Amino acid sequence: MKKIFYSILICLAAVSFHSCEIDNYDEPQETIKGRVVDAVTGELVLTDQGSEGTRVRLRELSWKETKVPDNFDFFCMKEGIFQNTKVFRGHYNVRIDGAFIPLVRLTSTGDTIADESKYIDIKGVTEVEFKVQPFLKVEWIGTPTVSNGKITATVKVTRAVSPADFKAKIEPMGGYNDNMLNVTDVRLFVSQLPYVGYREWDNRYTTEINYSGNSFDAQLGQPITITTKGVIPAGRTVFIRAAARINYATENIKRHNYNQFIRVDVPN
Amino acid sequence: MKLKYFLFTILAFGNMVMSCKDYLDIPPMNVVQDKDLFSDATGMTVYLSRMYSQMPFEDFKYSPARQFFDDWLVTPGANSGESLGRDAGTAMTSEGYSRNGAYWGRAFNLLRDANRLLETLPEYKANFSDVDYKHFIGEAYFARGMVFYALAKRYGGVPLVTSVLKYPEVPAAQLEIPRATEEETWNQVLADFDLAIANLSATSPKRGYANKYVAYSFKSEAMLFAGSVAKYNKITGFGDKTGVRVIGFDANNAIAASKKYYKEAYNAAREVMKSGKYSLYKKKWSATDKEAQYQNMVDMFFDVSSSENIYIKEYKYPDLTHGYDAYNIPRQLMGGNGYSAGNCPTLDFVEMFDGFAKNADGTIKVFDENGKYLMFDKVTDIFANAEPRLRAYVIFPGDVFKGEVIEIRRGIFTGDASNGISPLRIVNGGNPDYTVSGPSNYNQVDAYKATGAFAGKKSLFLSQNGTTHETVALPGGITMNAGGKSGPFTSDATAAMTGFAVRKWLNPNMPQSLLLEARSEQHFVLMRYAEILLNAAEAASELMLAGEQAPSGDNFQQIAFDAIKDIRERAGAVPLVSANDVSGQAGLELIRKERKKELAFENKTLWDIRRWRTQHSEMLNGYTQADGAYYKGLYPFYSSTTGKYFFDAGLDEGRRRFRLTEQEYYFLIPGGEVSKSPLIDQQPGR
Repeated sequence: MKKIFYSILICLAAVSFHSCEIDNYDEPQETIKGRVVDAVTGELVLTDQGSEGTRVRLRELSWKETKVPDNFDFFCMKEGIFQNTKVFRGHYNVRIDGAFIPLVRLTSTGDTIADESKYIDIKGVTEVEFKVQPFLKVEWIGTPTVSNGKITATVKVTRAVSPADFKAKIEPMGGYNDNMLNVTDVRLFVSQLPYVGYREWDNRYTTEINYSGNSFDAQLGQPITITTKGVIPAGRTVFIRAAARINYATENIKRHNYNQFIRVDVPN
Repeated sequence: MKLKYFLFTILAFGNMVMSCKDYLDIPPMNVVQDKDLFSDATGMTVYLSRMYSQMPFEDFKYSPARQFFDDWLVTPGANSGESLGRDAGTAMTSEGYSRNGAYWGRAFNLLRDANRLLETLPEYKANFSDVDYKHFIGEAYFARGMVFYALAKRYGGVPLVTSVLKYPEVPAAQLEIPRATEEETWNQVLADFDLAIANLSATSPKRGYANKYVAYSFKSEAMLFAGSVAKYNKITGFGDKTGVRVIGFDANNAIAASKKYYKEAYNAAREVMKSGKYSLYKKKWSATDKEAQYQNMVDMFFDVSSSENIYIKEYKYPDLTHGYDAYNIPRQLMGGNGYSAGNCPTLDFVEMFDGFAKNADGTIKVFDENGKYLMFDKVTDIFANAEPRLRAYVIFPGDVFKGEVIEIRRGIFTGDASNGISPLRIVNGGNPDYTVSGPSNYNQVDAYKATGAFAGKKSLFLSQNGTTHETVALPGGITMNAGGKSGPFTSDATAAMTGFAVRKWLNPNMPQSLLLEARSEQHFVLMRYAEILLNAAEAASELMLAGEQAPSGDNFQQIAFDAIKDIRERAGAVPLVSANDVSGQAGLELIRKERKKELAFENKTLWDIRRWRTQHSEMLNGYTQADGAYYKGLYPFYSSTTGKYFFDAGLDEGRRRFRLTEQEYYFLIPGGEVSKSPLIDQQPGR
């Protein structure tokens, strides 16, 4: 009886080894590092960290086993840089989409007008820099102040791309109207984490100001003072960040442009 | 040795048999053959049974989280604002992977059966009468229309498989079909429903089969969807692999397409109306008796012979059952599987109706002019005059169900009430805070924690769950549990967590011993006449806004007005003033609101707010779902010093957050399908 039992066990063990085949590919070891900078000023384009931020899409063109390579997506860090250290060696198309003029522009029938994405070999540590035209630029004015658990900050929103340039680039894509340039909302995001943004905000304190039509145009370049909602408990540390967006979606998402986050300690 | 010879002998004879091909070449006896299936109308029932078992019906076996053919935790309405459910998803962005796989894969099984019927039945035409033959062809088109409709509203453009794919005769690689454009897909839906209408009999030859008017009805629903997408959708793009516009409409063509689809929706609904076969259910209705109006609307969902039913899905124990009662029964009547209260109506839903005091902004009035709670002698007083339709859909605190008073009470307030009671949601002596920053649970407020104005005197008592209660000794010597028998409780959501329980669909005659999963057998009304009226009204309103002319003999405004007037009259709602109520954008909003009220908990509202593209943008208590939004509850409290009740209205204690981004109006195509196919495109941009 025991013999049968053991022989069954051995059989099972033998079968279980069946799948233990050594992988036919080496572990991906190449690194791609990138920066997304404003074509005019050379400053990094700050972004949210998540699906409403700047998305990086790699497509391995040297991969021939499927007709169309799968999309390999990841997201920019909030500073406007990205890095992936586990990429297979090969020839790639790298495109990014964010709150800036799309690099790949198609007509309404799907024909390519412009393709400013990069076609590169990724090998070792490969660095790329994308020069883009962000829709808006958001800046702090002065230092935020705290009183009674409310933070008051002043920001300035300006256009980083001129309406004429925007129109020249976007109109050929079809369906253009001037309302696309309208600033729809300005927000002061609050979070307990430095990764503050659209995907990480505390809706008890975060303030949102909506603008209808082109009503914001008069305030472009003017200081806008925003105060947080609710009362942040004394002694708490929060991170704040302002963002604004226009009425135009890239890859079907209306994305915000951001400024640099600031740490605020609410005094005891 | 003997064995060896024996084996050789067997081998030898065996080899001889191998060559005798002819008489062994017979079809397998255990597989039903086409000639048997397509022999007559009876044989066809076998074929159609299989098709109907795969139909994408959104009934008691459908939930947004798990999609079709799954009766676990079915709580219609819990994803679209009518209600909150402990086990339901929130905004429904899930494609239903969890148990059944997305509908994508399953759709093609039924498409194959339908296409096979269309291609094979002509060979056996002689076996059928002309009427039967046409009807069965119509059934195939109806099934195909339903499948393409179910796919289009989820995915946009899909592969239009309109013939049987011959595999393995043709290699799989040659059978790949790319996704069509969204517009082509809706046109296919339209064409299939039209062919179904042309072929189906005017009455169903067998209970459960479709007929011409069933097809008209679903056509009107589908075309309303198509028209709305063409008009309101903002997201579009091209597939990576094919360059085809797989979602959205070409901006140059969208307006024309939307008008075309709205016209189709209108005309289809009008055909059903003109047939005179259906009417609003009014068996027990009386113009003067609110109680009769209420009972009439409860009964209509259980009456198989209702003149309002256009198409129903029947269930029968033990063959085909569901568990609606077990999952949604009020807590105090809970059955043996331990489920209850899966579908708790929101205050936002209740506030759409008439018959109780409201503030200027349409919210329920719970405070007097001094900011103190309104006090009610009986817990039922606040909704005593509520619209009968609402009472038929929702169980209010203190309502009777199955002969039992449903006790819904959040807690007992023992503090002084001689100068009125101040709002409860106060922390550390601050101001009342009913925003999202305020206390989320009543165990955080001053009255409960004996802080702030209540320092040293705990004045609010709550129940932890259904078995752990704080108690209060009442003046008469009675001890009262803080929470009601049906909740809401501090940390147990199997109770009326919004302060309401659902009444719609709950079988009022089911003994508690049978309140089990897979034990309910009431039918689901998939299509009823009220929806046809609402479809006609909405399409008419959209066509008026688009500046279109009504077909001769019709007046858009009159049709829309009569439809809404009749529905409101049957519901016992406040009558409309004049036909002007349905004009313009305001009229469209009114028609939409009426639709949300009438068709609540019927798996319709979620698709409505998705096709209107308002799910992400509608303002809900200060937030949109794009940013993450919350619904409200109404929490009843008993004041022990006065013996009266008061109600606290505010955001749901559980703070269930509904979030949806615009691109999620189109479900993702299952990743595996995209990876393995050289042609199937993922949604653009994702």
